[in-house]
Amino acid sequence: MTEMNMVQAINNGLDLALKLDDSVILLGEDIGINGGVFRVTEGLQKKYGEDRVMDTPLVELGIVGMAIGMALTGLKPVPEIQFQDFIYTAMDQIINQAAKMRFRSNGDYTVPMVLRTPYGGGVKGGLYHSQSGEAYFAHTAGLTVVTPSGPYDAKGLLLSAIDYEDPVIFLEPKRLYRSIKEEVKDGEYKVPLRKASVVREGDDLTAITYGSMVPTVKNTFEKHKVNGDIIDLRTLVPMDIGTVIQSVEKTGRVVIIHEAPRTGGFGAEISASITERALESLLAPILRVTGPDSPFPYKMEDYYIPDDRRIMKAVNKLLEFR
Amino acid sequence: MPEQDKSEEKTRLIKAYTAIVLSRTLDNKIVVSQRQGRVGFYTPTIGQEALQVGASMALQDKDLIYGYYRDVPLMLHRGVPMENIINQIMGNREDSALGRQMPSHYCDKKRNFMSVQSPVATNLPLAVGSAYTQKYRKTNSIVLTTFGEGSTSAPDFHAALNLAAVYNLPVIFLCENNGWAISMPVEKQTLAEIWTKASAYGMRGVRANGNDLLETYEVTREAVKRAREGKGPTLIDAVSFRMGPHSTSDDPTKYRDVIVEEGSDKDPVIITEKLLKSKGYIDDKFIESIKTRAEKIVNDKFEECAKIPAADPSSAFTGVYKESSWMLDEEVKDLL
Repeated sequence: MTEMNMVQAINNGLDLALKLDDSVILLGEDIGINGGVFRVTEGLQKKYGEDRVMDTPLVELGIVGMAIGMALTGLKPVPEIQFQDFIYTAMDQIINQAAKMRFRSNGDYTVPMVLRTPYGGGVKGGLYHSQSGEAYFAHTAGLTVVTPSGPYDAKGLLLSAIDYEDPVIFLEPKRLYRSIKEEVKDGEYKVPLRKASVVREGDDLTAITYGSMVPTVKNTFEKHKVNGDIIDLRTLVPMDIGTVIQSVEKTGRVVIIHEAPRTGGFGAEISASITERALESLLAPILRVTGPDSPFPYKMEDYYIPDDRRIMKAVNKLLEFR
Repeated sequence: MPEQDKSEEKTRLIKAYTAIVLSRTLDNKIVVSQRQGRVGFYTPTIGQEALQVGASMALQDKDLIYGYYRDVPLMLHRGVPMENIINQIMGNREDSALGRQMPSHYCDKKRNFMSVQSPVATNLPLAVGSAYTQKYRKTNSIVLTTFGEGSTSAPDFHAALNLAAVYNLPVIFLCENNGWAISMPVEKQTLAEIWTKASAYGMRGVRANGNDLLETYEVTREAVKRAREGKGPTLIDAVSFRMGPHSTSDDPTKYRDVIVEEGSDKDPVIITEKLLKSKGYIDDKFIESIKTRAEKIVNDKFEECAKIPAADPSSAFTGVYKESSWMLDEEVKDLL
């Protein structure tokens, strides 16, 4: 066990994957000699060489397209897109090639690729270094969307994703990269995909969240002594609906927290899935605490990202509802 | 030319010509069948036979092909069974993708013919990635990718060429320049000759007369040789003409007057016949017999494939993930 932040834990996971399997290839902008703009790949090129930790030209669709072509021929590429905000030119590759390959070839060709990319606000990145685009990926059949909320899960989920035989969109909450430290196992271990984690237990209500918002919700519940379950989804698609419904049946009150804008956000999917399955258990309307339907602002980001005050407003409203 | 070389060339060229005739015959059959309502859709290959077969002649079985939706001649020459192509177009249960993809979107793993998508040029970066694998694993295989000249306006084309050159990869970009991106003539698509675009990426670019089987073969052979020797990628601009519509849903009389009639001097089938005749490899009798045989083969295969039923409806909603998701399972239960 070593105390690590998320950057160190992911670096450690990548290092291990590169060591264990020579079909693992990292590629992306500035990930080699520079170690990535967030230093997640620090030292790996020196250790494994330029043909396994590849610095690429500045072309997201090329990075993803190349990675898909590698995956189709037996490699296990782990491309990095420097900021999730820059991924959109590669969406054609992600949606029309990676996500559909298994289906359209009836399994003859598959894309075991883990596409890593930092997302979310809180680092004073303005409109184009702060976006939370998980819903775009969640809406595409064939993708598996994963987001860790701490160092331990980050490494374990990453190693599971690298072993997974379908494309994984691995969203790294950049705000949490260095803000939390946890004890992380040194060797190989896996945290399963498609399984949520109940990070705090209580009886009065259920908070459902993921990725960048998990520590905020945890701190809020601790500070205000909220007696509720907190579910960290970890994998958004396919969502662990069993864990969600079990909790909802116990508490009857649900708040969903995410940083992405509300309209068409993943919270809407969670909410609809709950009402379809557990309407009779609900004692109050399902509430969402999310980013507003505006672009992510530079100066006022603390207002944009859901905080203690807004979460408690929703919690109190839920608890008071009769 | 020594006798043995001549005999080998004869065998090679007759195989090529046979593939061209079979492809043309199949093409016409599918178009007619589409008009009769027996086939949903098709993107005809007519006019591009010589260039595709010429390129295919330069490849080995172990090489990978990222083709596009107009590559029937190449597939037939490569040894993809004709019934695989027809089954794909019919989308029946013998289709390797079980009818999930619309017609002309082929896939044949056994012949290293990768799965075809609709969005043009998106196969090119994949070809580059697969070429990287060949270099990394030192397989000595190369990758060939095909696309129309319309694709050269797309960002993926430029990304792929640049990356292939930067990493010095064994990949060949075969532009099937048929002069038309649906209704847009090549002169209006770009002011530069297609082959010259390679120079912007520090890559070798060459033009070939795509209606000349041997010229396309020689140009591709040279590119293959260079790629295998580690001398990097080549862009080939194989110039031909799209004699048919873009697809069976398209009416080219709306946008063009230029026509190349089947059987005219500009038809690659006729051009190839002249070539083989001039070498003394075939004569009119041979041509007639091979065309008669092709008609029979195509008709028989087509009717055989037409008898094969559709796949089970549930197959249209499975195979999205290796391990299915509960969401999809639940949705499928509801709709079947």
